[in-house]
Amino acid sequence: MSVEKYLKPSVINQIKRLDLRAKFVVKGFLHGLHASPFHGFSVEFSEHRKYSHGDDLKDIDWQVFAKTDKYYVKKFESETNITGYLVMDLSSSMGYTYQQELSKFDYSICLAAALAYLMVMQQDPVGLVTFNDKIRQSLAPKSKRTQLGNVLSLLSKLEPDGETDFQHSIGQLTAMLKTRSLVMIFSDFLVDEEQTLNALYRLRHGGHDVILFHVLDEAEVSFPFRGVYNMRDPETGDELKIDADGFRKEYTQQIEEFRDNMARQCRKSGIDYIPLDTSMQFDKALLEYLLSRRARG
Amino acid sequence: MTWANLGILGLGGLLLLVPIVLHFLMRPKPKDIVFPALRFLKARQQSNTSSIRIRHFLLLLMRCLLIGLVALALAGPSVASADFGNWLTLGGIGISGLLVGIVALLAWLRPSKNWLLIGILAAIFLGHLVYGTLSASRLLNSESAQLLGDDQAPVAALIVFDTSPRMDYKTQNQTRLQAGKEIGTWLISQLPAESQVCVLPTTNDRPFFSVDVAAAQRRLETLEINFSGASVPGALLDGLQILNKATQERKEIYLITDLTRQSWGDENPRALLKQLDKEPSTNLFVLDVGVVDASNFSLTDLKLSDVEISQSGRLSISTQIQRQGSAGQRSIRMSIEKPDPPLPVVRNGRSVFPEKNFDGQVVNKDIREEGSADLKFTFSQPLVKGTYHGKVEIEGEDGLAVDDQRFFTIRVGNTKRALVVHPQDVNPRIMQSLLAPRDKIESGTAKYECDVMPQSNFIGLSDWSQYDAIFLLNPLPIKDTDWNRLETFAAGGGGLGVFLGHNAADGPLAHESFTTTAAQRVLTGALQQQWYSEDSDVFLSPKELTHPVFGLVRTNETAVLWNRFPVFLHWGIEPDQSSEELPTQTLLRYNNREPAVIERLIGAGRVLVMTTPITEYGFVENRNSWNALLTGNPLPAFMLLNGITSFLVQRDVGSLNVKVGQAVSFSNDPREYPETYQVFSPAAQKPPSKLNSDGKLRYRFTDYPGHYRLKGIFNEQVLLRGFSANLDLSATDLTRIGPDELDSFLGHERYQLARQKNEIVRQQGTTRRGTEFYPLLMLMMMVVLAVEYLMSNRFYKG
Repeated sequence: MSVEKYLKPSVINQIKRLDLRAKFVVKGFLHGLHASPFHGFSVEFSEHRKYSHGDDLKDIDWQVFAKTDKYYVKKFESETNITGYLVMDLSSSMGYTYQQELSKFDYSICLAAALAYLMVMQQDPVGLVTFNDKIRQSLAPKSKRTQLGNVLSLLSKLEPDGETDFQHSIGQLTAMLKTRSLVMIFSDFLVDEEQTLNALYRLRHGGHDVILFHVLDEAEVSFPFRGVYNMRDPETGDELKIDADGFRKEYTQQIEEFRDNMARQCRKSGIDYIPLDTSMQFDKALLEYLLSRRARG
Repeated sequence: MTWANLGILGLGGLLLLVPIVLHFLMRPKPKDIVFPALRFLKARQQSNTSSIRIRHFLLLLMRCLLIGLVALALAGPSVASADFGNWLTLGGIGISGLLVGIVALLAWLRPSKNWLLIGILAAIFLGHLVYGTLSASRLLNSESAQLLGDDQAPVAALIVFDTSPRMDYKTQNQTRLQAGKEIGTWLISQLPAESQVCVLPTTNDRPFFSVDVAAAQRRLETLEINFSGASVPGALLDGLQILNKATQERKEIYLITDLTRQSWGDENPRALLKQLDKEPSTNLFVLDVGVVDASNFSLTDLKLSDVEISQSGRLSISTQIQRQGSAGQRSIRMSIEKPDPPLPVVRNGRSVFPEKNFDGQVVNKDIREEGSADLKFTFSQPLVKGTYHGKVEIEGEDGLAVDDQRFFTIRVGNTKRALVVHPQDVNPRIMQSLLAPRDKIESGTAKYECDVMPQSNFIGLSDWSQYDAIFLLNPLPIKDTDWNRLETFAAGGGGLGVFLGHNAADGPLAHESFTTTAAQRVLTGALQQQWYSEDSDVFLSPKELTHPVFGLVRTNETAVLWNRFPVFLHWGIEPDQSSEELPTQTLLRYNNREPAVIERLIGAGRVLVMTTPITEYGFVENRNSWNALLTGNPLPAFMLLNGITSFLVQRDVGSLNVKVGQAVSFSNDPREYPETYQVFSPAAQKPPSKLNSDGKLRYRFTDYPGHYRLKGIFNEQVLLRGFSANLDLSATDLTRIGPDELDSFLGHERYQLARQKNEIVRQQGTTRRGTEFYPLLMLMMMVVLAVEYLMSNRFYKG
């Protein structure tokens, strides 16, 4: 089986270490790219050059050394300085899954880890911000290889909890960012739609590029329930007794409208909107990132 | 309404509780789950809850309906076939009401309620409910609904059997009578035990229930063609009366007939319809044994040149051969039987008739499809005095043989003698030329001998009995003794015609000799004043033309314009019609309603009195003319006079040839004829009956077509008289009755029509057990099942 299998959430779930998860996801993604029209992305290193003092030892290509007995380091074609922020929603609703291997939170962590891996591979500075009702943690962006370990370490320790105050949290983030950055937000956006969009507009207005990874559980998209349920909102604690059979059509219609509206509003303001559910492969999100990066390059 | 398994209906009622209990009590316990996207559900909660309730309700209804229909179908309801349509209508109302109720309930369950709509729907639903309940109650209590059930329960069966001559039609070597008997025998044999059975032929017989089924079988087997019977509606009416007296509650009528139109007569169908309506629970089956495309040759009524001819006279007979069906060729024979005393006699229990004939005549004819051909036969042979029988018959095979023969009887005797009496101022030539035309006298073929004499000579004549008829033309006053002599002459069997005119007047009034008691006995009443019409607006006005006097007038009825022959003067007379001894009737009146011709029967003879003369030949000197009957082209007057003279001279000729069923009466002078006769019917198996004379011979039982022979002994010699009876031509008309006509007698959908035994069995089953709802209910069940399946799939898709 090829490494592309690692793009599947069900497969990646079998790997417990987050760094390995990220590595496998990216490898699977890149393997897929070789055979795709996206071949030639700048994530590929284009040439080797002789090691010179000051180069990171980790960049030394040991396979070349083994063959030539000389030190060479990999040189990437596109050397840029895109500062990326991985913004992770920590609210308790993100910890939800119905029948999938990964919760929305796990899925987002995997995706964020893979993106961090990819960015560090390209020597882009990457930082991490987590929030629920406010910003909880932040890790300043760096392009060093050690930064990946820091990001992954923090990500692996995160637990979903509390309610989301998206407007407040993103407002804080906007104030925090000094340079033009690529902000990648992972959330289910199950908050007030208007407030969410207002916060995003402000962020975008600050000159930042924004990619929204709208992560929903597969059950939240397809509503597979049958029979009578007593449903509880994990954030507000509200309960609702329903006959799921009678709701399916209208619910799926509402969710679709919600995602369509988000996509439409984001497109208007130049925000990349990527609707995801936890049954989807990771490559869609990664590809979106690369497309965004190229557009900026 | 009856139920095959009523218990199942109760069980079904209990089973109905199952989905209801499941719906209300066994609701599933909700599962607790976390769902972050709850806000999308909240928005639709209310409308969704209503929608869910409606869906649940509809599904519950469908399931209840399904169980209800299964239970109903298994319970096996059936209703009287006559009520089936009403029950279907009721079912339609029920379904319509149910739908309205459902829509009303759905409107009520919706979150946004339209109370006006709900109110209207509820009102319509209630209307349906009330109407349906009342209709169902009426249907359940209807009489026909009470008699359904076990089809082996005894019945009271009336089997009306059409025994008309048309049932003698033969096809496939079997007459309709035989075919009907075969079905009837089978029918009786399969009636439930203990049934009461009345076999009633269309013969005017009194209906009765046979002692048992076997007796009914025997009665059926003995049925024969009847030539003078009742119509089918008449027999049905008679039969319904006895059916009312039956002790069995379930009543059935079986009518075995060939469905020819003639069997239904000209009766008003309302009487039968009304009677049948009174018995809605009585099942009526019409068993058709007829033939749709019948073909038949038949002879029309014979027209004889004369029924009483002289020994040297000639006879000519004309008739028509008619064809119903495809064209064909036939030989038709005319024959006259030679008397062969002592025949007829009875040998071995059967009458034996003379078989020898005079030389007859045979005619061959080609007859077109549905066409006819004229036939004429002549006979000219010297015959001795007596009564002769003859017949015209079609030779060869025919479907219906009974109308292939026409019978006739003639009498050969001395030439009749008539006396015309006239005063000096009255010219008798009109009457003389009518009775004995000069050319006929010269050729020796005159029908009568005619003497003419003045009234004065007539009074002096001692013996009037040598004449068969006397005609008094415009008579002068007559003494009472002579009136009495005239009465005696008439009583002795003579015919007397009196044509009153100006000679009976004494001034404006009648001469007193015309008003005496003796005169009134002959003249039918006292002569009153003369009626004078100045404006020529009085004329003869015949109404009923049934009397033999109007024989010729009847055949030319439309051609006669009586108002062109005014009567200026006529005698007023008040006929005395109260006397039983002297039966009197007015045969003809003027248009002013005054009598013109009056008939009085005196003893064995008869008198005709005409109140205006028939001897006014146009202009009359010294007095007013009485009428213009003989002016212009006096054909009407001739036709009338011809009828009068024939009627008065030829006594009893009308009785020699009659229709079947018609009573016969003719004089029997004991000086000439025996007083006791044996009557030999044409049916050889029928024993001769005895007939006594009281001056007249009266015979009522002309129930077979053919020759009726009267055999008596007079002066130690066998003396034969007789007459012929023929079927009316319409009696053998095989035209079938149409469905609409049949409906008009029996009622639309009131009867079951069957030709085969299996049809009868099926229809008996349907009417006894009623029509079952099972197939319909199963169909409805399938529909409800399909709707329930579609609804549940639609509501819970995916």
